[in-house]
Amino acid sequence: MSLLTVERLSKNFRGLAAISDVSFAIEDGSITSIIGPNGAGKSTMFNLITGYLPLTAGEIRFKDRRITGMATNRIAELGIARAFQIARPFRDLSVFENVRIGALFGKAGPRDVAATTHLAMELASIASLAEQPASSLTVGQLRHLEVARAIATRADLLLADEPCAGLNPTETAAMIDVLRQVRSNGVTVVLVEHDMPSVMEVSDRVLVLDAGRLIADGSPKQVANDPKVIAAYLGTPDAS
Amino acid sequence: MTRNPTLIFVLVAAAVVVLAAGPLFLPPFYVRVGQLMLYSAGLGLAWAILGGLAGYVSFGHAAFIGVGAFTAGLVEGQLTGLPPLLLLPVGLLAGAGCCGILAALIAYPILRLRGTFFAIAMLGVSHVCAELTNNIDFFQGSMGLNFPPIAPSGMDPANFFYELYLAAALFILLISWLVRRSRFGAGLLSIREDEDTARMLGVPTERYKRLAFVLSAVLTGVMGVIYAHSLGYITTDSVYRDDTNLSLIVYSLLGGMGTLFGPVIGAFLLVFVTQVILGRLLDFHLFATGLVLVVLVLAAPGGVAGLLKKRKGTAA
Repeated sequence: MSLLTVERLSKNFRGLAAISDVSFAIEDGSITSIIGPNGAGKSTMFNLITGYLPLTAGEIRFKDRRITGMATNRIAELGIARAFQIARPFRDLSVFENVRIGALFGKAGPRDVAATTHLAMELASIASLAEQPASSLTVGQLRHLEVARAIATRADLLLADEPCAGLNPTETAAMIDVLRQVRSNGVTVVLVEHDMPSVMEVSDRVLVLDAGRLIADGSPKQVANDPKVIAAYLGTPDAS
Repeated sequence: MTRNPTLIFVLVAAAVVVLAAGPLFLPPFYVRVGQLMLYSAGLGLAWAILGGLAGYVSFGHAAFIGVGAFTAGLVEGQLTGLPPLLLLPVGLLAGAGCCGILAALIAYPILRLRGTFFAIAMLGVSHVCAELTNNIDFFQGSMGLNFPPIAPSGMDPANFFYELYLAAALFILLISWLVRRSRFGAGLLSIREDEDTARMLGVPTERYKRLAFVLSAVLTGVMGVIYAHSLGYITTDSVYRDDTNLSLIVYSLLGGMGTLFGPVIGAFLLVFVTQVILGRLLDFHLFATGLVLVVLVLAAPGGVAGLLKKRKGTAA
């Protein structure tokens, strides 16, 4: 069953088409990566799915329910959570308190708050940092906090915006591990990612955006060998 | 959480007993100072539900003192036949209710503003209310409104209002405490920290902000109604005061922004400094308040609570 369906989605910023006529469906329980050169519309896609930006045309369905035009917090309550690329922790609060906010709201609602908070911290392997103030965390730890806080909402779908960007190889491996853990706990994951080795390793499926259009959709291997994708990243030979 | 809730409860209970017994042994001047301290603490607490918890710093909460006071005065003026002890509850209901309605009406546009813009817009609200009260004859702002004496016969009115302020401040403290430990309070905190992220996590930010604004306005109105009765006669200038607008921010800054007891500590300290230490220097207190504000922002942005925390942090 498709958990999330995006149909003929378009988004224009004034005259600029950031997303044009993009359709895809995300299968329940999968890890899907959205890749593409800078400015391809990857983060805009997340902003549209979470209702953070209004869309120009098209429709987004989640669990067979139309979520187009819904308020961001309503969409979160239905079960879509997001981890930001540039971590946005609640700086004055501890790690535990940060994750607890996720557990109090979102789809989780106010039940089993402590248990949900601890489980989310375990999954994101930051349980040992629980009492630390969020402002004292490293960039890598903050990414884990982002994921923990997002899954504490008991979301069914996690949108992770470049969770590995700027991380060293050890931290990247740890993050990949966390994403697998999250998936094996029944959360469907959609990544926007630049780090190709991570994408190839973790994804079941890869969507490629270029200049707002979906140019490829398939397994990591298929996509890596797709001439259109190679052209988008490297340019076509003899373009002049 | 290393703090012991039982200990805090016992300390608060002891402080309340000492405070309640205050008028028995305090000279009249200090009963007056005590009134002002408790009044300020209640206002500071009410302000902090919005300003400290949700991070929406209002520079115009005197609007709700004034609206509460004038509504109560006008309503009670129509009910002169009522026994004095019934007048106060009616006035409280009318005054606080009107504050709640006003807040609910302006919440939608004004809470779309953030940071300084919200603060200045609230200052505008306060001034608009003051001008309307002053210039529309119906409100009698320039002429002044009389309040009937409500203190029971045989009790010194100063002592009566002292205890009334204490009860009201305690009531607001209780509400603040309940809000802080609720899901609503956690949501407000997340709004203060990062409103967009909060919404992304499912916090109904718009509804929560509006609720906090209305609650804060209603509780401020309660204090305003009692204040008007203790004065006995009010004009526009005695309730819509810009020094109150400023002081409410300083209480939280001084005591510790976002903490439960911060506004209480701040109000007690500032009133003590301006009324007792600087008591002989008339009108010097506004300068003192400004000075405290500048020194605080530069030297101790966390206020007294922040300093205590810092000391504990370095000791551990």
